[in-house]
Amino acid sequence: MKVTVKILRYNPEKDKRPRYRTYHVEAEPTDRVLDVLEKIKGYQDGSLSFRRSCAHGICGSCAMRINGMNRLACKTLIKDLHSDKIVIEPLLGLPLMKDLIVDMKPFFEHYQSVKPYLINDEPPPLTERLQSPEERERFDDTTKCILCAACTTSCPSFWSNGQYVGPAAIVNAHRFIFDSRDRGAAERLRILSDQFGVYRCHTIFNCTLACPRDIQITKAIGEVKRAIATGSLD
Amino acid sequence: MRSRTVSQPAMSFEYIMWMFTRISGLALLFLGFIGLVMALIMNARNLLDMPTLTRWTFFPNPNHVVNSNIPDVSQGWANAYWQIMEMVIALFGISHGFNGLRVVIEDFIGNTFWQPMIRGVIFLMWLFFIIIAFYVILAS
Repeated sequence: MKVTVKILRYNPEKDKRPRYRTYHVEAEPTDRVLDVLEKIKGYQDGSLSFRRSCAHGICGSCAMRINGMNRLACKTLIKDLHSDKIVIEPLLGLPLMKDLIVDMKPFFEHYQSVKPYLINDEPPPLTERLQSPEERERFDDTTKCILCAACTTSCPSFWSNGQYVGPAAIVNAHRFIFDSRDRGAAERLRILSDQFGVYRCHTIFNCTLACPRDIQITKAIGEVKRAIATGSLD
Repeated sequence: MRSRTVSQPAMSFEYIMWMFTRISGLALLFLGFIGLVMALIMNARNLLDMPTLTRWTFFPNPNHVVNSNIPDVSQGWANAYWQIMEMVIALFGISHGFNGLRVVIEDFIGNTFWQPMIRGVIFLMWLFFIIIAFYVILAS
């Protein structure tokens, strides 16, 4: 099948503002959008820039807006778009660097602000810090995050104000707050009860829809809000 | 799995207002429900039409029912109890609404130079509407 691909292009050295450019590509319905981008870059326009790495939906590099929704280009099949016209744009809410590449620095600064690592000053046991399957299950969903930024850049609260930590940072805080081995929950909850923490989330659910790992993000944010209100980590 | 608790963070302004929004939202529904049930007990089914009953439910002011079939509003429909109800509804409703306005504006302006000024303006508007509402309630 022939697909028409409209890509929002931007060269900071030449363009004052981004502009769309259209390409016609021969593709199979089972091809991924990433394959189409590779065809364009390889055979039609080598100047096209986009991030990619694993191409298997695990590194989170190729998140972009495809037909208006944040998705991973490597996990999106042409047939699943139900159209032979594809519009590809960079993620919203982060500074545009070139073509489909955005500056991820603000995103990772928010991620770092919630201390996304195990905090435990207790002396380590001889073997390992044991955890029951039930305790592990408690935060299983939020361990799936690949930091692709699809959630944060689909959030209208983040679009309107980049000071908001965003859903991805809250998801990664949740992953440690509810980990029975961690002792840094109080510190993280204090950070997230700040003006730009969880209370900027207005349960719009865009993040949950955008997540390529199917993480129940809005639910996780709700659980963090409940932990702040009750002090319970169950 | 043993129960885990953590010391709660100090109550931030955002947390207090977030909690207030939920409590006031539920309280408004509950107060409306009381107004509706009591109106029906006072024979609203025969005395009021639907729009009048709806107005009364969410703001039980005698001005809302004076043009209905009620022979004398001073008999049950206009008294200190309903004035207190109205004041509580007005306090919760106006505060809930203006806090919503604050949240929407602060979603955009964030923690900038404008924030204290915007908060001040919203507080003055909130105070103005509370005074007007209480005046209307006590004068009617």
